Amino acid sequence: MQTFTGLVSVLLVFLWLGGNLVSPLRPICDLRVLDHFVREARDSEVIMRGCRGGCGAMKSYFVPLTSVDFAVLEHMDVNGQAVEVQTGLSLLDQALNNAMKTVSNSPLANALDNNISNIHSLGQILHSLDLQARSTVLPDDSAPASTQTQEVSSLPELLQVQSSFLRGKVRLLLSAAPACQRQNS
Amino acid sequence: MTKMSDRLKIVFMLCVAFVTTGGQHFESKVAQLLQDETEDIKCFVELKDLTCFWEEEEERNDLQYTFTYSYENKNKMACVVSSLSLLASNKTVFFCKLPKTPFFTTLDVQVFRDGRMLYSRSLNAENYLFLDPPRNLTVLSSGKEGQLNVSWLPPLLKYMDDSMIYEVRYAVEGSNMGKVEVIKVSTMLVLLGLQSDTRYKVWVRVKPDGVAYKGYWSAWTEPVLGVTQPSDLDPLIMVLVLFIGLILCLLSMTVILSHHKFLLKKLWPDIPTPEHKFPGLFTVYKGDFKEWMSQNNSSMWGRSVQVYTEELPSPLEVLSEVSLTSHGTSQREERKPVEEDEEKESERSDSGLTDRWREPPQAHWLMEQLRALQENPQSLSQSLLVQSHDTYVTLNQNSQGDGEREVDDVFEETLPLQTLFTTTGTTSLSTSHSDLGSLQQSSGSGRLSSQSSFEYPNQTWPPKGPGYTYMAVADSGVSMDYSPMSSSRITELGRHRMYTNDYKNEIFLHKWPLFGEHNKSGSESCMGPVW
Repeated sequence: MQTFTGLVSVLLVFLWLGGNLVSPLRPICDLRVLDHFVREARDSEVIMRGCRGGCGAMKSYFVPLTSVDFAVLEHMDVNGQAVEVQTGLSLLDQALNNAMKTVSNSPLANALDNNISNIHSLGQILHSLDLQARSTVLPDDSAPASTQTQEVSSLPELLQVQSSFLRGKVRLLLSAAPACQRQNS
Repeated sequence: MTKMSDRLKIVFMLCVAFVTTGGQHFESKVAQLLQDETEDIKCFVELKDLTCFWEEEEERNDLQYTFTYSYENKNKMACVVSSLSLLASNKTVFFCKLPKTPFFTTLDVQVFRDGRMLYSRSLNAENYLFLDPPRNLTVLSSGKEGQLNVSWLPPLLKYMDDSMIYEVRYAVEGSNMGKVEVIKVSTMLVLLGLQSDTRYKVWVRVKPDGVAYKGYWSAWTEPVLGVTQPSDLDPLIMVLVLFIGLILCLLSMTVILSHHKFLLKKLWPDIPTPEHKFPGLFTVYKGDFKEWMSQNNSSMWGRSVQVYTEELPSPLEVLSEVSLTSHGTSQREERKPVEEDEEKESERSDSGLTDRWREPPQAHWLMEQLRALQENPQSLSQSLLVQSHDTYVTLNQNSQGDGEREVDDVFEETLPLQTLFTTTGTTSLSTSHSDLGSLQQSSGSGRLSSQSSFEYPNQTWPPKGPGYTYMAVADSGVSMDYSPMSSSRITELGRHRMYTNDYKNEIFLHKWPLFGEHNKSGSESCMGPVW
């Protein structure tokens, strides 16, 4: 009996801690964090250009569309942008993970690993801004929406897409996040 | 149909041209990139629209250019080609402005001429931003010295205003040396460390920071003048300096006044007077020494004798003897008192002796004496009466050990000296000197100083022979010429002044007759007393 109560109390403690972790994060509105991620994505491109051997096999990756039309962007609401960004981030995450399996060059592998962790951090940031979409993970076997994705055939192209996506859509979304607008105003 | 399409094309091109030339900086940007950019097809983004242009040297109207672009694996899209004539460089460019420029994606642009591909390029539009210069640049003087407040407006680009970097250049008006300050995002800057009360020119330009967007530096704005505040510390500093200077002056005056006597003594020393030794000489007798002497004779000399007892008069070396009586009387008659030109210290108590010597004697008589001396150098028994213009010495014939003096042949004025010598018990010496400038106490070595008219070496010299008195006379600045004298020379010497400073009368060495050379005109040549 005493051991049971002890276990229960321990479980309660863990639950309380878990509950605290789930509590909403403070909004991260400083774009310098994203700029840091952007620079690291650019570093991966540079390493890729200088890679000689073990730089990944030729493989097709499904990546998000990165083009931004400012005229269209002004008329798009934030939530739509958020969905677009979240989908794209998950696509990039998958593609990078697939690419890492074929990379044996250690600097490149480290850079790719860095990019993957940055994408996860971006997800947290979007969560802090209340912009995280409900369903973020696309099932692998589902056909990717053509309007939302594009296909690239090499790792350098993949890295270029990642860089463009972060600098474009992700950044515009973060700068337009309502949570940050309320802080600035 | 073709006419309609041509017309439409022309209208469209005019519209495009109107729109493009409406931008003030388009032509300048094109001109600048024409020089700087190395690509064949040059592209830049102005106001979120990508413009690509290329230069064509040949001006042929029948050339047809086709501009296509595509991105993200989409179908190619066409863009209308226009031409622009640059007035500055007299060149023609063809350009195309993408209507909806997609950013953050790779654009593939191609130029065809007459169906054949001329140029091809892949680029991301967000990397070639060419912004306009910042607007509304204002330079204001801040409240503080050496500072200027500079502010401007950011480019009119939504979503990009937080990705800008600015460069502020400032220089003194008229100077070519300028400084540059880089500032991120913020559109105002305070320039520090400037000269006060100076006119400055300020320029600003802008560029994307290179993280999310990249591009070229914009053109510099037109210079804006600003004047810094005049220095306001100068009056304060001057007041402080004056105050400190005043305090220092007061302190120095206080010090000077408290020690003024000491300082006065050092800077303006009193001329020493022997007033305290000659009581009443100046006050009562107005410097008439003779009168004073006559009044104070007994007491004075008694005292002086006591003082003088410290010195041992030296014997005089007689070089030759002559009969003194005839000359002595004549001289006595002709003698005139000579005034002292200088006074002595109490040690030289016989400074009261004033004698003036007369004109030099006959020259030939002197020559005879010289000749006699030369012929018979042993005749040191001869006492020589030396008469010169200035100085001579009369010798008393005196035997060694004979303490008595024959004062008869001596002039009256030599009495004091004789008295002095008598008391000392040494060989007497009566000397008269033209200008007894000083009686110098000789040193032990017997070297005469240049100032003395007498020298009394401390040592007692052994006489050369019995009955000879040795006399040593030193004269200041007088050279001894021991060569045989000619009459003319003697007279010459009598008239002129021979005065050399390097005379050293070594008494022990030179036992020559003392004649002729001591030409001193009165008191002029006598140098000051040696104290």
